[in-house]
Amino acid sequence: MILFVGVAIALVPFLYVVSTSFKESTSLFSYPPDWIPSPIFWGNFESLFADHPFVQWTLNTLFVSGAVTALKLWFDSMAGYALAKMEFAGRRGVALLLLLSVAIPISALIIPMFFVVRYLGLLNTYWALILPPLANPLGIFMARSFIVGIPDDLEASARLDGASEFTIYRKIVLPLIRPGLVVLGMFTFMLQYTSFIWPLIAVQDSDRQVLAVGISGLQSAFLQDWGLLSAGMLAAAIPITVVFLLVQRAFVFNDLSGALKE
Amino acid sequence: MSAMSPRADVAVSLIQVAKSYGDVEVLQPFDLQVAEGEFVVLLGPSGCGKSTILKMIAGLEEVSHGEIHVAGELVNYVRPRDRDVAMVFQNYALYPHMSVRDNIAFPLTMSRRPRLKRDVIEARTVTAADIVDLTPYLDRKPAQLSGGQRQRVALARAIIRQPAVFLMDEPLSNLDALLRADMRTSLLEVHARIKKATLYVTHDQIEAMTMADRVVVLNAGRIQQIGRPRDLHTAPANTFVAQFIGSPRMPLHDLEVRDDGILQLADVTLTGDADVPLAPGASVTVGLRPSALRATSSASACFVGEAKRRDYLGSDSYLEVDLGEGLSVMVRAEADAEVRPGDTVRVDADPGAIHVFDEAGARICGASVCRRER
Repeated sequence: MILFVGVAIALVPFLYVVSTSFKESTSLFSYPPDWIPSPIFWGNFESLFADHPFVQWTLNTLFVSGAVTALKLWFDSMAGYALAKMEFAGRRGVALLLLLSVAIPISALIIPMFFVVRYLGLLNTYWALILPPLANPLGIFMARSFIVGIPDDLEASARLDGASEFTIYRKIVLPLIRPGLVVLGMFTFMLQYTSFIWPLIAVQDSDRQVLAVGISGLQSAFLQDWGLLSAGMLAAAIPITVVFLLVQRAFVFNDLSGALKE
Repeated sequence: MSAMSPRADVAVSLIQVAKSYGDVEVLQPFDLQVAEGEFVVLLGPSGCGKSTILKMIAGLEEVSHGEIHVAGELVNYVRPRDRDVAMVFQNYALYPHMSVRDNIAFPLTMSRRPRLKRDVIEARTVTAADIVDLTPYLDRKPAQLSGGQRQRVALARAIIRQPAVFLMDEPLSNLDALLRADMRTSLLEVHARIKKATLYVTHDQIEAMTMADRVVVLNAGRIQQIGRPRDLHTAPANTFVAQFIGSPRMPLHDLEVRDDGILQLADVTLTGDADVPLAPGASVTVGLRPSALRATSSASACFVGEAKRRDYLGSDSYLEVDLGEGLSVMVRAEADAEVRPGDTVRVDADPGAIHVFDEAGARICGASVCRRER
């Protein structure tokens, strides 16, 4: 029963958005509400794709989210490897500094970030959307915690077998932390896909804009077209659902069994 | 360069090697030479520094002092992969995401100069797998193998490199007793086949005694004795070796040498076998090797005492015998000997049963039973 209530609380707003997206704005506020639109109205979607660069926003968002995710996984896993397994002066200091920077809220960073990006001449480019999120240290900590769990003997053995540090990272460490990286990747992708504040500030051209900002622009101070907004939200949810389904297979747990004596 | 240079037939030479972490000295300076084809076991309790020696030879730990030569070459500053050594780790350290074939071939796929062709790698992988009887399992993942099979994968991965020296860090320590005995035999067969210098670390004296050409006994970072297994048993260098080697453990008794240079152990007098007589009044420690003391029915037995406890071992039994005056010894008896606590037991001592150590614990000599006084 509790589960049912929970599911209902989670699902009802979503179903309401689905229902609204297939209704004309004029019939939205009828009471009692019609859950199943009759007749089904496609005008919201037609307007979305015909009057607004919705496809471009989607492609921008997928490109930016994909690029951020790929680069972040690469950098975070390498930095995590260095912090987890390599001996160098100041390792603890670097880890502590990163930990402290996690605690700084994004809102405190936005203004300095804006000036840095403007100084670099990157405002209103894809780079403005891709580069700043890479500096988020949370992923480094997650990658480090996955890598710390890999027994030192595996690397010692690979090192004796002739593997370079980069080969150990690429051929031994990366395959072993794959499930963790998939989770980190999904987390990063989701965060980027729904990112709003920073793209709103960093990019002005509608052609370079991402979905979250683009959809919010569908409403204005004088016009609240709920049907169009709902259609935008529903259409925006489709690509990320597809991405989720595609990477679901990679969640297959790839543990360390067989590496060591049990 | 060192004053000492390793001989040509020496595969590994450690010259005044020491290891410390900051102010903590974990290995005192020592010398050790391992000949081509020799099987040397480093034996000692946990934390004595034996694994550290292997890691220093492999290049996984820095050397604080001294020189390490492998195949005649000073390797102190040579990278692990260029040292011509292969190591089998205490845990198997197999790559779980790779098949047995890829695990075994890994060192060859890493080889840069010369870069090996795929068919050469495959042929050598199959040969290495064949040596350790793993050919049917080449396409499996490590998780699909038993403990013994996994250890053999680790061994094949070491064999395939054809190194000058094999380093094995307690490779059998987590296998069950039966499998361990089988693997001991397998390891010795492989060693006999490839005849490469091997340094093998263990805390198990049975492994050391059954496998080694020579054993290096370590304790608290210091080498206690280097010798053939038989030498350690018959002439232990000190009380630590005397007690560490042999089962049951050798009991020790502190005595004072009488004015006539004779030792009195309960009602029995002992004379030292040394050329120089024992110094009158000197404090010494006497140890009696349980396996060299036998329960007997002979009236001319060396010791007579009272049985306190019996440990049945299947092939034979060990009796704890109270000799009086708070002295007790462990004595070997027939497995089916009918002895109960309180029974009188007569004990004969084989030659080499009794050892005399000085106050610092170093062995002075063996001793023989002179006569029973009562």
